[in-house]
Amino acid sequence: MKKIILAALATLTLSSGAMAQESLRIATEGAYAPWNFLDESGKPAGYEIELAGAICEKAGLTCEFIVNDWDSIIPNLLAGNYDAIMAGMSITEERKQTIAFSDEYFPPDPSRYVALAGAEIDFDALTGKRIGVQGGTIQAAYAEENLAKDNTIVSFTTADQAVADLSAGNLDAIFADGAYVDPIVTASSGAIDYTGPDIMIGEGMAIGLRKEDTDLTAKLDAAIEALKADGTVDGLIAKWFDGRGPYYAN
Amino acid sequence: MQGFLNDLAIMAPAVMFNIYFALASIPLGFVLAVFLALGKASRNPLINRLSRGYIYAFRGSPLFIQFFMFYSLALSLNISVWKPLGISGFVLHPLFIGPLVLVLNTAAYTAEIFYGALRAVPRGAVEAARAYGMSPAQQFRRVVWPNLIRLAWPAYTNEVVFLFHATAIVYFALPVIGAQADLMITAKTLFERDYNAFLHFSVAALYFLAVSLVVFFIFGLIYRRLMRHLPPQHGLRFAPKWMR
Amino acid sequence: MTDDIAFWLSYLTNGKHLTWYASFQFTIFAALMGGALAVLFGLAGATARNARFLPLRVLGTIYSSIVRGVPDVLFFLFFPLAFEQGVEWLVATQVCSPAMVAAQTAAWPPCREANWILGTPEYLMLASVSLGIVYGAFATNVIHGALRSVPLGQLEAARAYGMSSRQVLWHIHIRQMWVYALPGLSNVWMLIIKATSLLSLLQIADIVLWADRLGAPNFLPAVGLVHADWRWRYYLVLFVFYILVTWLSERVFEAIMRRVGKGILSEAHA
Repeated sequence: MKKIILAALATLTLSSGAMAQESLRIATEGAYAPWNFLDESGKPAGYEIELAGAICEKAGLTCEFIVNDWDSIIPNLLAGNYDAIMAGMSITEERKQTIAFSDEYFPPDPSRYVALAGAEIDFDALTGKRIGVQGGTIQAAYAEENLAKDNTIVSFTTADQAVADLSAGNLDAIFADGAYVDPIVTASSGAIDYTGPDIMIGEGMAIGLRKEDTDLTAKLDAAIEALKADGTVDGLIAKWFDGRGPYYAN
Repeated sequence: MQGFLNDLAIMAPAVMFNIYFALASIPLGFVLAVFLALGKASRNPLINRLSRGYIYAFRGSPLFIQFFMFYSLALSLNISVWKPLGISGFVLHPLFIGPLVLVLNTAAYTAEIFYGALRAVPRGAVEAARAYGMSPAQQFRRVVWPNLIRLAWPAYTNEVVFLFHATAIVYFALPVIGAQADLMITAKTLFERDYNAFLHFSVAALYFLAVSLVVFFIFGLIYRRLMRHLPPQHGLRFAPKWMR
Repeated sequence: MTDDIAFWLSYLTNGKHLTWYASFQFTIFAALMGGALAVLFGLAGATARNARFLPLRVLGTIYSSIVRGVPDVLFFLFFPLAFEQGVEWLVATQVCSPAMVAAQTAAWPPCREANWILGTPEYLMLASVSLGIVYGAFATNVIHGALRSVPLGQLEAARAYGMSSRQVLWHIHIRQMWVYALPGLSNVWMLIIKATSLLSLLQIADIVLWADRLGAPNFLPAVGLVHADWRWRYYLVLFVFYILVTWLSERVFEAIMRRVGKGILSEAHA
């Protein structure tokens, strides 16, 4: 009996292992517009989802998106529940210790502070402020290191929650990816505005992969390379990020 | 082994947050529960309905949802209410709103326990007190309450342990301020670093078990003192009937 | 006015909302499956606690007291991880050849072929099993107590009929036990219902996750309707949903108890 169960389990995992050759399971957060979000129909959509479509077509893979919380997105990649992460994840030295990255598909972009309009924040002597970040992000790491001594760092599970707390006046400012807050500032029609300096952290965004999947990394790198060359990446960035770029045109 | 000791040391400050949440919500929850239990037993239809409804709603829905709901509700009242009062940062602080929701929640469970005990208070004793010419307030203080608390104590002990366990989900629903992380968040962060679920979660479980045992010990001592007029009985047990 | 109604109707029936409504199936499935497993684990635990064989008795007691001494969330997070690694280890002993193990550069699993991919169905099963184990410990206590409540006379009568001790246990003792266990089991069921709110912690896109995503403030027309923070409204819906489920469960249990408990429970309480 035990043998049968084990054999069944083995074939089950073997077949899924074999399938993983052609199909790529990509994790995303689904709460980080315009990179990734859940659209009106409840499906993942956004820049990364369209880009993944193009990458997978180029690389000859069938791609499937899986929604996973941001804080467990790296552990679940390592556990083998999916093969790649496309969730607005910046390349950092710390993350490179545990996972591998493909070539970047979104250029390094300054992180920015935003606050409710009219808030007077003295960034030369930043003390006693409540600053919201999304936990586990490069901004959270920066704030932890540089701001935590004199200010209160409030970390949220999603970036949207930080924005909700800022809008409700529970935070003095939030610190996030510039391209994440840009549309919010534009859409808030003056209620939320930039403040303080732009800070350059992170080395651009890329697909997060397991270190041992070197073949897959090479395959995806080649696809990204080709899509950068033919202008697809620039086109998608311009489409989703309000005409930014071009970054990768020769 | 080294990892185990490291974890023990790292989680020692974290358990203080869980203990704080429990300690901050037990006294208020207790007082609120007494009023709710009396309300549920009240003959005034309005008070009766309100108390019943409150107890039903808070016992009938998950604490997790209550946390989310009250935090986002408090947030939406921030600009119109808390800011003008100047208590914004205070009200929305997890160390305040966490115990607040726990109080609202545990009060309902405790009230149900007290209400059950209230109905079990020997009628003869109350009638004797009335015949003695005691006022209702005197009856309550001298006769009903001492009986009630003795009847309710074992079940209340269980409720306190459950309340302590419930503190584990506070930070799953509320934002984390600075390095103020409780046992669960600490265990989860450690796990996300090296993927060793067995070690980190076991150490957190050990802390929860240890504090639960301390609660039993302390409440057992109180129980023995409450029951000192009776011949010695077997002590408190983690009993099935009384779970929340 | 009619425009407003039409607008809200179409908003509340857009794909995102429909997915939310559909996600109630996960919650309901986890509750039912978890409940069934909790009764199974409860039966196993109670029989272990009543066993003549000492180690089994100790095991039953340890199970029912340790699991209840730890918060359900902790177990809920820990068990699926432990179970996944356990299964992968088991599979690895069967499928991994030394060459495959040598080719594996990651720390876990032992070889790539042993990797077990967890998606929503797997997580849902693991969540149900966790619920079953945690609340099975409570059910163990309930059933243990109920087994003791069965009048001894009935068991003696069965024995006098010449039934073996196994027959007495399965045909008389456990069948009669249900009546006494029902009030306690209804309590356990209420606990399980409330614990299903934790599914989102296991990467299941359940009602809580969707309530958060739907209620979160949105600024981008490309994403959907632009609105402020509406989360508490969505959570209020869930709050009411759980109260209704509790109410419904109470009615059902009352009806069952009235049927099966006729004459027995009132006697037991007297």
